[in-house]
Amino acid sequence: MSNLLEVRGIDTFIGQFHILEEVSLTVPEGAIVALLGRNGAGKTTTLKSILGLTPPRSGQVIFAGEEIQGLPSYEIAAMGVGYVPEHRAIFRDLSVYENLKLAERKKSDLARKEAMIFELFPDLKRLIKLGGANLSGGQQQMLALARALVPDNRLLLIDEPTEGLAPVIIEAMMEAIRRLAATTTILLVEQNFLVAGQLAESYVIVDEGRVVQTGVMADLLDDDAAIRRYLGAG
Amino acid sequence: MEFWREHRTAIMTVIVVAALLGLARLGMSANDWVVTILRGLSVGAVIFLVAAGFSIILGLMDVLNLAHGALFMLGAYMTWSVYVRPDTIVDLLTPGLLLAAGFALMPVWRQAAARTPARGRRIWPVLALAAAALILVRVGPRLPISIWDPKVYQNSPIVWTQNAQTGMLASLIRPAVAEGGLPIWLTWLAVLAAGVLAALATAGLGRRSGLVRTTGRAALRSLLLFALLIGLAALFFAFNDPLTNVWIALNSNWRFLIAVVLATLAGALLGGLMEATLVRPLYERPIYQIMLTFGLAFIGTEIVRAVWGRTGLTMPRPALFDGTGEGCPATGLGEWWRNHCATILVTIGGEEARIRTYNELFLIVVGLIVLVSVWLLLQRSRLGMIIRAGVQDGEMVEALGINVRRVFTLVFALGVGLAALGGALAAPSMGLSDAMGATLLLGALIALAIGGLTSFAGAAVGSVLVGLLQQFMIKFGALGIKLPFLAEPFKPSPSLVPASTVLLMVLVLLILPQGLFGRKE
Repeated sequence: MSNLLEVRGIDTFIGQFHILEEVSLTVPEGAIVALLGRNGAGKTTTLKSILGLTPPRSGQVIFAGEEIQGLPSYEIAAMGVGYVPEHRAIFRDLSVYENLKLAERKKSDLARKEAMIFELFPDLKRLIKLGGANLSGGQQQMLALARALVPDNRLLLIDEPTEGLAPVIIEAMMEAIRRLAATTTILLVEQNFLVAGQLAESYVIVDEGRVVQTGVMADLLDDDAAIRRYLGAG
Repeated sequence: MEFWREHRTAIMTVIVVAALLGLARLGMSANDWVVTILRGLSVGAVIFLVAAGFSIILGLMDVLNLAHGALFMLGAYMTWSVYVRPDTIVDLLTPGLLLAAGFALMPVWRQAAARTPARGRRIWPVLALAAAALILVRVGPRLPISIWDPKVYQNSPIVWTQNAQTGMLASLIRPAVAEGGLPIWLTWLAVLAAGVLAALATAGLGRRSGLVRTTGRAALRSLLLFALLIGLAALFFAFNDPLTNVWIALNSNWRFLIAVVLATLAGALLGGLMEATLVRPLYERPIYQIMLTFGLAFIGTEIVRAVWGRTGLTMPRPALFDGTGEGCPATGLGEWWRNHCATILVTIGGEEARIRTYNELFLIVVGLIVLVSVWLLLQRSRLGMIIRAGVQDGEMVEALGINVRRVFTLVFALGVGLAALGGALAAPSMGLSDAMGATLLLGALIALAIGGLTSFAGAAVGSVLVGLLQQFMIKFGALGIKLPFLAEPFKPSPSLVPASTVLLMVLVLLILPQGLFGRKE
């Protein structure tokens, strides 16, 4: 399996703060890789560095064989990188339909993907005319994920998709992500270790801005010491 | 109940405004009342054009564009220039297009700039810019441009205004001649070189780190544009006189329309350039940005003083709204259309009311058209969707693959274009002066504070309220208000007119700190 995404030793600063130090990770084509770590470990910043929202000061990001560090975010996104941010970032003043429409890169994108999206999230079809401000947390999360599915993305960067959701909805989100993995590659940031453990094949743990451990998910499930030390969960 | 909660402020506003208008009706006759309302709407329409652009720019980019008033004023003066001196504009086309041609090759210059070492001193762009400025200073006065001169009375804008009003333009305009011994083709080459140098300098100064990719197609397209612009420049130079003659022979309605369109486009271009060159480097530094736009406002005022003089000007109304002869004042719209009357006489409540067709009909109608078109643009177009989304979260819009920076430039151009349109339309009714920008910006800011800073509906409602209040205060200044316990009727002095709008703003903000339609932060 070739690597769709390779991050090689990136350093990212936010203002004067050195957030990421020499972070490296690889995401093989077609895989789900979990990016784990405590609050403030640098998971979200890693995603934002890949997408160029907080551009790395040094190091390389290679997507589909091309160096993309230093490119503006919109160009990186247009190469086929979808982003589902933490806290969803649904546009409140836009309807559900407009939120989806805005994500189009070609005029026919939504028409082509509509059936697939509504099959995955039947609720959205019912809410299509509702304003973004009127959605519940779970509905917002569905919309955020659906938005990343409108264009043909090769890589999805998904940040905390189950945060603050009810167990039933978490189940639905997991099912959706599992089905997406059949066609796309996913780099998943997840606090909920149970969720990450069931979805991802491999993992990367960051702590205080450095990669401290990587490996196959099955091994991590047995590694109580690492779980306690870096993830603070049992 | 749901409806009430959602539209509470709007309903309350309508009730309060209706009550106040009803109260005002008690103090004056029906005809005065109607005319004053129309005047308020007309002033409100102009304020709205400035406030709407200001609020869209503020909402999307968090830029407090204090130069907006100056740009409104430049719009007015540009309209005057195109209307009164079409020959000057034709003379300016050739050098303008040659300068633009240099910028048409921008993708090529950017590629070239990216090849220079990244770190190290970037002195060459500054030198190139200085060289461009030097060329323009040397060559500028020799260009064949015939222009007015505020320092020479016979050639001053005031005299040219009179010439335009009396229809003497055609006989007074002389073809421009190049001064100095330089052959004309060498002069044009120098202007082109200045354009190239300035564009090169811009590319060098605006160099972004990382990769610059210019595809062969983009380079070819820019070369074609370059050739097209030079061709047009040559064409306009060759056919300068015939074009001028045809233009001047047009009737004043067409000339006014052309002037308004050109001034609006020039304003939009100026806004786009301003964003791309001056505002963009300062997005992370809001205080510097405010200082920049504040400084630009002063520069705008000084430019107006230098080019058009310190004395205020009037702008002749186009013939459609200027008739006073036979059949005028008109008694209805049909008669106005036939006789092009400046005023329409209507009988309201048994008394005559004089309605000025330009101010009280045309301006209000244009204001409504702009209101609806901008609203449609915001609600129905993809650009509008991007703007509404970007107001909330520009980063996420960019993460969807949309070039937000380009949208910023477009929106700046749109906002400034609206202000220039406001200036263009206000020129015949308010006249031109170097203070008109500051005065109107103040009114627009008050209107926005009342309506809610970044709300489009708020900009419209706030502007109308400010316009109405101003006009009613002016009217009551003449009529006086009969108050109990006072022997003499109370007459608001002229200085109370602006004060009253500030008072309204204070009242609204005390009750609704976000303004009428503002959103809580």
